[in-house]
Amino acid sequence: MSIKLTTQAYCKMLLHAAKYPHCAVNGLLVAEKQKEKKKDNTYTPILCVDCIPLFHGTLALAPMLEVALTLIDTWCKENKYVIAGYYQANERIKDFRPNQVAEKVAARIAENFSEAAMIIVDNTRFTMGCYEPILAIYDHHENKWKCRDCNVDCFEDWCEAQKITLALLEGRSYESLIDFDNHLDDLRNDWTNPEINKSVLHLC
Amino acid sequence: MASVSEMYDVTWEEMRDKLRKWREDNHRNSEQIVDVAEELINEHASKLGDDIWIIYEQVMIAALDCSRDDLAWTCLQELKKQFPGSQRVKRLGGMRLEALEKYEEAGKQYDSILQEDPTNTAARKRKISILKAQGKNTDAIRELNEYLELFVGDQEAWHELSDLYINEHDYGKAAFCLEELMMTNPHNHLYCEQYAEVKYTQGGLENLELSRKYFAQALKLNNRNMRALFGLYMSASHIAASPKVNAAVKKANVKYAAWAANQINRAYQLAGRGTKENKCSVKAVEEMLESMQITMS
Repeated sequence: MSIKLTTQAYCKMLLHAAKYPHCAVNGLLVAEKQKEKKKDNTYTPILCVDCIPLFHGTLALAPMLEVALTLIDTWCKENKYVIAGYYQANERIKDFRPNQVAEKVAARIAENFSEAAMIIVDNTRFTMGCYEPILAIYDHHENKWKCRDCNVDCFEDWCEAQKITLALLEGRSYESLIDFDNHLDDLRNDWTNPEINKSVLHLC
Repeated sequence: MASVSEMYDVTWEEMRDKLRKWREDNHRNSEQIVDVAEELINEHASKLGDDIWIIYEQVMIAALDCSRDDLAWTCLQELKKQFPGSQRVKRLGGMRLEALEKYEEAGKQYDSILQEDPTNTAARKRKISILKAQGKNTDAIRELNEYLELFVGDQEAWHELSDLYINEHDYGKAAFCLEELMMTNPHNHLYCEQYAEVKYTQGGLENLELSRKYFAQALKLNNRNMRALFGLYMSASHIAASPKVNAAVKKANVKYAAWAANQINRAYQLAGRGTKENKCSVKAVEEMLESMQITMS
């Protein structure tokens, strides 16, 4: 089972990492809830349609993470989404391995959604040009996380994703990206990022 | 590209004051600092007087953050000319070497500062930062502990140490660092709240009760701290749901959780007023609190 990413999901992930270059950042990926299992054996990859940026800085504390997971889970149910994945960009450039926090959160998500994926951003390849996908995608197999090669097939439309991410990074849209930490600082900050979603749609 | 003053319609004095505010609050908004300060220096250097030197220092560090080595180099040269032999400028030179990942050279720079002045705390802390940058967290922790034995009042260092411990999942020691900070800053709601988060993460009934108390204390110090409010709700809910508590404790915690839930709902209602989009969060929060009440009882 593998996941695919839409432009909006990929964009917001990278914008989050770009907003806090000196911090570790993490967040969730959501997919549309599948209506029913297909009777035949055709395989449809899970499409992650959106990303919810969570925290920056200290990722290893539990209470706010629990609040975020519960709240976003409730929001997902209302919008017929399901939490399908977890992403993290580590603090140091050369650190691209999933750590304990990533594995724990991703495992928790996998309890509710068996095809959950864990994504680690490769900071060393993170450039303004966005020439190639810079993610490492991990799938859960037999209690272990195995890394899968991430190429353009992991995207709904890589060209579009690349073009739009580049445009938003150059325009410094990340300055207005809201993560859950920003929301806790001021409840009026909207972690669904409607303005950025609009910009993405506008550029499509 | 439009200049900062044109885009935001600000005068050079406002730009200078903004830089001062960012300096005092220790903001790390490096891209903005570079934009504002670069323009200020290029266009208004003569009007800044002696302020220019501290602005050079501020923008140099911000430039390192943004990989603007050209700008960082220029600032460093200006500072070297004005303050030859200064240890403060030498440290900036070291930071530039760190930014270029020339850690050995940077280390030597700091060692030479420390030879002249063994009490120079800035150089010591930079050496520890090098360890952190190289991912040598255990070494950084060890050195920082040694540093704090000598410089026990350095709050920034205690906070850095608590962050390092949290990243190593050593919550007990992180709590100890935060206790030091709370002792010297009893009115700081952020330390209280972070301490409560660490205790909550440590887990276990005793730690949960402590965490609830410190979330409550943080709220007392600042009744708009949403993290403290959520934390109070979560910790009280978990205690009430625990099979190990007696009926009286359970009842009390159900009451605390209910009060917190009420306050959370009110806070969201207040925030959501007037915006159509925020109403979805308000609803989500209400439903989340309701669903958690079911698991509690």
